[in-house]
Amino acid sequence: MSEPKVFDKILTEIIRQDKGVKKCILVDKTGLTIANVSKLSAFVVDTDSIGAIASAVFCASEEQGKNLQIGELEIVTSEFSGGKIFASACGKGVLCVVSEAEVNIGMIRLVMKKQGVQLAEELDKFLAVEPMPGKDELDEEDLKSALEELERV
Amino acid sequence: MRKDDQGRIHLKLVFYGPSLGGKTTALRWLYGKVEGLQKGEFTAIEDETNRTLFFDYVPMSAGGRVLFDVFTVAGQKRHKHQRKVVLQGTDGILFVADSSPDQREENTESFEELKMFLGDDLGRNIPIVVMLNKRDLPNRMSRDEMLDLLGLGSNVPIYETIALQGVGVKRAFQAIAREVILKRMYK
Repeated sequence: MSEPKVFDKILTEIIRQDKGVKKCILVDKTGLTIANVSKLSAFVVDTDSIGAIASAVFCASEEQGKNLQIGELEIVTSEFSGGKIFASACGKGVLCVVSEAEVNIGMIRLVMKKQGVQLAEELDKFLAVEPMPGKDELDEEDLKSALEELERV
Repeated sequence: MRKDDQGRIHLKLVFYGPSLGGKTTALRWLYGKVEGLQKGEFTAIEDETNRTLFFDYVPMSAGGRVLFDVFTVAGQKRHKHQRKVVLQGTDGILFVADSSPDQREENTESFEELKMFLGDDLGRNIPIVVMLNKRDLPNRMSRDEMLDLLGLGSNVPIYETIALQGVGVKRAFQAIAREVILKRMYK
């Protein structure tokens, strides 16, 4: 299984490529945020909901492409007056990059494509079903405890 | 079941059902009124009349390292593809049926669509709990009529609810969360 820090390392590589890039989020196709890195900002955002929307928008576009039979979706670009959001496929996940409005689009696309390959490989390892020794017991403890907590709600 | 980078377990629950059946109302009630649950931000993708366009989403936890990512779907027929997207990776379904007699067909269509999307996994690998909502309507369909309509037997937990007042909503949520956890523990 891949170490979560590997994702942070790759996302940090991306964020360093252009000073206009503010945030990088890696989500899976169910809407779960797996990792994220941000440049310092006074504006706090809820990364989980940003990730859920990014994943849903990307998957909806993918579905649209399938319905129209226009091939595989590579990247979704949303342009706002004050910034841009890019979302691209990376294997079982979606890479989302948030930037300022004035940014080198070509470079960002290139970086996302290149790092997307690496992210896809790491995601495959991270999401691998093979359990680590003793891991199942740990999960069971967590699930049991959640069950007990749930009854007290 | 998925894990985030902190090793926390995430379970995805989806409120499904016909348009205006009470999915968002039920989720908002859980979000606003149930104090024992820890909740993140409420995200809603909706139109100007507050009808869901894509989904609502709230992360919830009863404590510990297990989180429930709770979604609703957009119920209107034209949002079928969005519903398919939201269902990806779901661990459990809360089907919200509308007790109003004029929603008979909508309930059936929605349930059939759900069965089509999830296939044999529904009820087998993906637990389902059914909420018979709007039980305060004077002309509501009877419980048996609704179960017949949906083709449900005694193997599916059924809760009679009034989402606007929160009646039965917490119990239905606890039931699906419990079913999903048990499924993971004893699969």
